[in-house]
This record gives sequence, structure tokens and C-alpha cells, in this order.
Amino acid sequence: MKQLLNWFRRQKLEGGLDRELQYHFDRRVNDLMSSGLPETEARRQVTLELGGLTQVREEVRDVWLTRWLRDFAYDLRFSARAFLKNPAFTVTAVLSLALGIGATTAIYSLVNQVILHALPVKQPERLVLIDWKGDQAANGFGTYNLMSYPICRELALRDRFFDGVLCRAATTVNLSTGAEPKPAAAEIVSGSYFSVLGVRPAMGRLLNDEDDGAAGASPVVVLSYDFWKTQLAGASDVLGRKVLVNQHPMTVVGVAAADFRGIDVGEVPSFWIPAAMSAQAIPGFDIQRDRRTRWMQVLGRLKPGVGLVEAQAGLQPWFKSRLYEDERSAEFPKLTAERRQAFLNSTIELTPAPHGHSSLRRRLLQPLWVLLAATAVLLGLACLNVAGLFLARGSARDREISTRLALGASRGRIGRQLLADSVLLALAGGVLGVALVPIALQTLIAFLPRDAAANALESTADARLLGFAFLISVSSGILSGFAPAIQVGRRSLTASLRERGGTTFGSVRLRKAIVTLQIAFTLVLVIGAALFVRTLTGLLAKGPGFTTTSLVSFGLEPRRNGYSPARANQLIRRVREEIGAVPGVERSAVARFQLLTGGSWNNPMTIQTDRRIITDRQVNLNAVSPGFFATLGTRIVAGRDFDERDSKPIGEAGSRSAIVNEAFAQRYLAGRSPLGVRICQGAGPDAKPSIEVVGVVSNFSYRGIREESEQAYFPILEENADSASFYLKVRGTPDTAFTSIRKIIQNADPTLPISNFRTVDEQVNRSLNTERMLAVLSGSFGTLALLLSLVGLYGVMSFVVTQRTREIGVRLALGATRSSNVWLVLRDALVMIAAGIAVALPCVWALGRFVESQLYDVKPTDPVMIAAATLVLCATAVGAAVIPAYRASAVNPTDALRFE
Amino acid sequence: MSSPRFPIPQGTLDMLILQILSLETAHGYGIAQRLEQISRSVVQVNQGSLYPALHRLEQKGWLEAEWKQSETGREAKFYSLTRSGRKQLAIERDSWSRLTGAVQLIFDEGSRS
Repeated sequence: MKQLLNWFRRQKLEGGLDRELQYHFDRRVNDLMSSGLPETEARRQVTLELGGLTQVREEVRDVWLTRWLRDFAYDLRFSARAFLKNPAFTVTAVLSLALGIGATTAIYSLVNQVILHALPVKQPERLVLIDWKGDQAANGFGTYNLMSYPICRELALRDRFFDGVLCRAATTVNLSTGAEPKPAAAEIVSGSYFSVLGVRPAMGRLLNDEDDGAAGASPVVVLSYDFWKTQLAGASDVLGRKVLVNQHPMTVVGVAAADFRGIDVGEVPSFWIPAAMSAQAIPGFDIQRDRRTRWMQVLGRLKPGVGLVEAQAGLQPWFKSRLYEDERSAEFPKLTAERRQAFLNSTIELTPAPHGHSSLRRRLLQPLWVLLAATAVLLGLACLNVAGLFLARGSARDREISTRLALGASRGRIGRQLLADSVLLALAGGVLGVALVPIALQTLIAFLPRDAAANALESTADARLLGFAFLISVSSGILSGFAPAIQVGRRSLTASLRERGGTTFGSVRLRKAIVTLQIAFTLVLVIGAALFVRTLTGLLAKGPGFTTTSLVSFGLEPRRNGYSPARANQLIRRVREEIGAVPGVERSAVARFQLLTGGSWNNPMTIQTDRRIITDRQVNLNAVSPGFFATLGTRIVAGRDFDERDSKPIGEAGSRSAIVNEAFAQRYLAGRSPLGVRICQGAGPDAKPSIEVVGVVSNFSYRGIREESEQAYFPILEENADSASFYLKVRGTPDTAFTSIRKIIQNADPTLPISNFRTVDEQVNRSLNTERMLAVLSGSFGTLALLLSLVGLYGVMSFVVTQRTREIGVRLALGATRSSNVWLVLRDALVMIAAGIAVALPCVWALGRFVESQLYDVKPTDPVMIAAATLVLCATAVGAAVIPAYRASAVNPTDALRFE
Repeated sequence: MSSPRFPIPQGTLDMLILQILSLETAHGYGIAQRLEQISRSVVQVNQGSLYPALHRLEQKGWLEAEWKQSETGREAKFYSLTRSGRKQLAIERDSWSRLTGAVQLIFDEGSRS
């Protein structure tokens, strides 16, 4: 290491050594002269004593840098000069490597940010996610790993295992900091949140246990550093300022540390609200402390010295007794014996959570590893390409190398020189690749859509990323230099000096092996691309099951603007009426929940036919207005749509009718007509199926396009539709509709934000963002791979033809036909292509299961896809080989033989 | 050139340098002169090999160097022993005496039989 440092300060070292030696020299000369020697004689003797100043300097330099490092430095200089002389070669090689290194680094950056990066908090490795394994006998809303607020408080008391336990839930609120309210991402957190994570305030104070007392008693918020900087211009007097959260005034008490962005990399909160203020943060949500509502993720910090397994085992006895106590309490819901047992069999599960909790990570985990693997293959391909180029150049440099060998250079020394060549190239490629990384990252991040909550992904390269890029550059340099270096080791000196500009047979064999590998790598990537593109087109062709053209949707949440339920209902009815009157709007309808967002309202159901059926899984539910199905263009296959009859008089709870989809009828009623069957939500013995099924609707997507689910619809009740997603079928372009809709809502309430205002086509695209990312990226990787291996194949075939010109000439002279010569060359190419395919297919078969879960309607071993990809590869590869082969047929025998 | 002298045994130069510097700090020429005095009639030190040795010892952290005014008034690079250099000297002295002791024993044995 010291030696490397010395390399950078060698100027200074040299100066010092010169002075030191000069001092010695002068003193010695003086001493000798004073003992009577004449000056010239004295100088001569001193030089003799020292054994030559240059020699001493060289020896000291060896101490500074060690021998091999100095040699390497000289090699690099020599290589650089050689590269500048041969720009075409250099540009091709550097570009191939830059593409490979840039792509790998960009994907690695995403992997790092989304999957590997630990939270910037105190000892993140001690954080664990606490989850309930089994039936919680509770209702839930939110994403994954949900539990109730009370259980978080109870877990916090298990101080034998935990240094603290926190819970949190992400939400969107309407926030006004002075001007109009805007939707903003917030995190509802327990008072322990910041202290358990060990986050410090940048200003003021953070939330604590006192802020998490009686409901509604602590109207305070902590702002994120980014929000404070960007939205409030970093105002120094922000502490004590009042902001409106869903029109409830709250006081800013602090700003969190600059690097802390919540615990979810995919949803960065603008600010934090104590859980005691849940009713204000989520309008109408007044059951924060309900044991039977699961809506928060719970994380704990393990005590030092307590292992995860130990804590998990230690918690079970307490948890068991708590379950039994809970089950005996009066409030415990009535359940079937089966579900009751499932509840009592529940366990508590701990998983390491140094990265926090993120549904984005969950969604991207597999796709990102798949992409990283694909880029690694691409990089390997680029290395092979450069290795091939080097071999080609190696044969051009043949004489130089043979001469150096003959003059006594060691084979190791020349091998090292060639390695220096490729490392230098790879470093140049790495620099170029890293320069491209920010652009590539921006493109990648743009694949991930954002709503109110931004993600914390950054497109800048940090030190860790640069380290990674350096590492893979050096390794790809070594990889691509390996083959040429080995080649030198095997070279027969006399043979190559005797030959005329040609090379030994081994070199051709090595190059063919490289091209074969390239073809194999390429086929793997092309098949991958075919599968992912097929998945995306399959999903797009399937569509959501309804016509998306000219369909526009948006959401209104008046309760977040401080509306009472009754006033919110009035506003929604007014907007509905006015939109219905807009001439450009053909049809319009309202649903309680938006489609294709990944989420849904779901519950198990009880069905009463001649017997009682309980659904074996969750049914997706929605409440819709009359005309909803017609607006979407879905078909009512039996029965009728909702109409005025289905709305109950004001004050009467529940619905009197329901519509189910075909999948529901098929799964639970097996061919019987569902009309007249009675159903209800819930699966307990106290569930009373009283809602009559009045219609059956054809299947369409609710949560996402992949999913096929059982669905049931209720009429959206006139008296409690206090938030709504509007669906509009428009004539002409959606843009004109956008303006008139905006005007209507502006007139109704200028401060009311419109959420998710977009065409349903766009919503479909958003819901397919992961699939699109995989298809586009794997498609471009496949194309690049194809290009790289074509260059490789073309190169080696041209070389073979040049080399065999003489042989071909002889054959022609002896009466061979031209077409037989084409075949002679083409046969070589076909062998390589076939061998490549033979290597690739087992790999595809083995790798298939890693991507299986990302595919739709196609198996990783789908014979049609594999055949198509192989055909594309063969066609292009043969195309690349035909040109050199044709040249072989055009050889003039007299010219070819005149070389002799 | 006076009477024939031994070339210095491999590896002992480092030890001699450490020993000289353990008494006082010195510059390269000073060390060369001390070596010359010590070894006048016994061993022969190639002065050219002194500098690579000094730089090697400095790189190992056994010596540290400083530019100071010398007795002639000109600036010279003065070397001195570091703490780890002192430790190293003790180690080498110990192993040297064990080696010579062992060799002596072998010779004694040989002369008895």
C-alpha cells in the first residue's frame, strides 16, 4: 500500500534522494581532497566506492515501488502509446467495455440503494421487523407486515429482548403550509419512533413518548429536512409555525436530521405525525387503539447481546398467553372454530430489518437481481469481445512479440505487458461507463412511477459506487487480457518467427472458443429478452378486461380538506351532476376505490345458498354507482346493474344488493346461477348473509392486470360516499375533458386537490412499470449482446478467411467450385453457432426458475420463445459469417498462390 | 586498500545501521564513516548499498528522517531510530547472539572430538 502512495509522490522522493546522495558525494570528495588527493582522482574514487550514482538510485527506487509495480507503471505507459496509435481498435474495445461496465454499475447502484443500503441510523443491524404469523382475527388496511397499535405498546414492554419498539404507517394527507393544501406523504409514528432508530434532530426536537398520549392531545409534527429545505426554503423561524394537516392546525416542533428519510426507500415522508393524531391524519379513522385493526408496521431494536433467534423464541410464551387472554375477552369477535384455532396457533416472527421496511423493495427485489445478472452476462460478453479483439491484434503484433521473446524478454514479462494493455483499456472503459451512469440511472428511476410520496433513489455516483466500478473495471480488464496472455505462454518461438505474418493454429482455436462462448451468452440474453417482452405484450394484450380508450379517472378526498362526512357527500354529488352535464363526457360513474393501484378493499365472505359457504380466500370488494360497469364497457352477463332501487333510505346501514363477477360465481357456486343468492362480508358464525346478488359482471382487473380474482360490488351509498374515484368516458381527446373537469372542481372548491388525475391507459402503464422495466432493459441488453457477438463472429471469420487464402487458392486451382469454398468457411461458423447454442440451452433451463415468478402466460422453457430467439440469433450470426465466406469464394487462385 | 577484508554477511548491514543509530542520530555519510571506523580491518561495506538499506528501513517504519543543518552548515538528511526500530534492534541483537552462540557451540564440539 505504501508503495502505491510512493508512486504519487515520487517527484518529491527523487528530489530528496538526489540531495542526499549529492551531500554524501561532496563530503567524501572534500575529505579525500583534504587528505591530499587531487579533485579528479577523489571524484573517481568516490564514484567507485558508491558503485555508480545511477545504480544506487535504481536500487532505492526498487525499495520505494517494488519491482513489479515499477514495471507495471512502465507497461501502462507503453500500452497507452500503442493504443493512441491504433484508434479504431481502441475505440471499439473501450466502447464495448464502457457499455458493460456502465450498465452493470447503474443496475448495481439501484440494487445498492433499494436492497443493500442500511438505514442511516444508529446500529441499523440491530433492527428487526416484528410480524404476526397466523390469523390476527382483525381487519386491515395498508401494505404488508401489518399489526395493531396496541400490540406495539405491549411489545415495547418486553425489555428483556428489546431496547425499544416502534410502529409506523405511511399515509397521504392534504398539507397546507400557508398557501393551498397539497397532497403530501406523511408517516404516522409511535412516540418511540425517533428514539428507537436513534435519529437526531437537525433543529428543534423530535417526537417522544409524551406526544403519543391521549388521542388528539398533541397536535405537533416534525418535518423532514428535504421538505423544510425545498418547500419552506429552509426558513430559520420554522419552529413553532402552524401548518394545517387535513385542515387541522398542528405545530412544527422540529426538523429531522438531513440524511434521514424515513424507513421506506420507496415512500419518503415529508413529515411525521404522532400516532395520537391518527384521527386527524386519516379522516374518519378513530380506532387507532383498536386491537382488531392492523395497519402499522412494527420494528424493534434488539438489546445488545440478544440474538434474533433467542429473542424470537423468548417472546413466544408471553405471546401465547396474550393470545389466550385476548380470545377469552368479551370484545373478541365470534369466529368459526377453525379460525379461532388459527388465531391461537399464531406465532411472533422476527426478521432482520437493517434496511427498514419497504414495499418497493419487496416488488423490485427479484427484478433487480435478474437485471444485475443480465448486466453481468453482458459485461462478460464485452470482456470476451475485447479478448477476441486482443487476439486479433495479438496476431498482428506477432512479430513484435516474437522478436522481444527472441531478445530475451521473459514470457511472464510479456504476458504482464498484455495484461497491462487490457487493464488500461478497461479502466478507460470504466471511466466512460461511470460517466454514463447518472444518465442511465435517471432513465431507470423514471421507470418507477411516483405519487405523492417520492422515492429516495438518487442518480449520483457515490464513493461506494465508484469503488464498485473500479473493481469491475479491473476484473474485466484481467478477464479480457487473460486469453491473450495465455496465448503468449504457449507460443512456439521458432514457429512464429518462421511463419510469414501468420500465427499458430492454437490462436484460431482460442478465438473460436471465445466466439462460441459469446454466442452462448448472447442466446441466454436474447431468450431472456424474448420472455420478458412476451410477458409485457401478453399483459398489454390481455388488458384490464375493459376498454381503456378515452377513459379518464381522478380522485377526490374532501375529508382531507376538513369536510364533514355530510358536506363531503354533498360536494361529490354536486361534482358528479356537473360532470354528467359536460358535453364531452359520454358516461360517468363513481367508485369507492380506484382500480389498478395494487391495493383493494378485501374481506372474506359468507354465501348462503341451500347451504352456508365461507370463501376460502379474500374477495376483492368495491362500491360503485349505477352505470359504473357501462362506463368501463364491461358486460353484465346476468341480472341487472344497480339502480335507484338499491340505495337504502338515509340512516339505514348496509346495502341491500350486490353484483359479483364471473370468477366469483365459478369458484363458489360452480355453475349455479348466483342471482338471488344471499351474501355478506365476514366469515364468523355471526355473519348474516342478507344481501341479494342481483347481477353478474364479466371479469376485469382490480388490483393489477396480472391478477384474476373473485370480486363483489355494492352500490355506493348515497349517504356515505365521502370520497370517490371518478371514471369518465369522454368523446374526443382527454385533454379537453381535463380542462372542463378542473374548472368544475375549481368552482366547487378552489382549495380541493385532485388526486391521480390521468387517463386509465396511463394507469395501466403505471401498474406495469416493473414489467416494462424488465422488458425494455432485457430487450436492449439482448440487442447489445447480439451486436457484440456479431462483431466477434465477423472478426474471427474474416481472420480465418485471410489465413486460409492460400489453401482456398490451392483448392480452386485443383478444381474446387466456388460454392464449395463458401461452404468450407461457413461450416466453421455453423459449428461455432451450434456449439454456442448447445452450451446456452442447458443454462437457460437452469436459470429459468429464477425468472419464473416475473413472467406472465409464458414458461421460461417455452419452446416457441426459445426457438424464435435461437432463430433470430442463427439468422443474424449466419448473416455475419456470410460476408467473409463470400470473400472466400471470390479468391483469385493466381493471386492467392503468388504469395508463396 | 589495506589488508583483505570480509564482505559483510547478508542481512547484517540493517542490524549495524540500527545499532549505530541507537547511539545517536546521523546522516548517511556519517553512518558510512562510522561503519568504516568500526569495520576498518574486519568487514567491507559497499557504500552504495547503504542508501537502499536506509530507505528500506525507513519504509518499514524503523527509522525516521529529518532534514537538518549538519556540522558543515549544509542541510543533510538525518536518520534516527523509532520506537519500533528500537524493538527491532533488540530482536536482531538477541537472535544474533543466539546464532553466534550456537555456531560457537558447534565449533567447540568439533574441536573436542
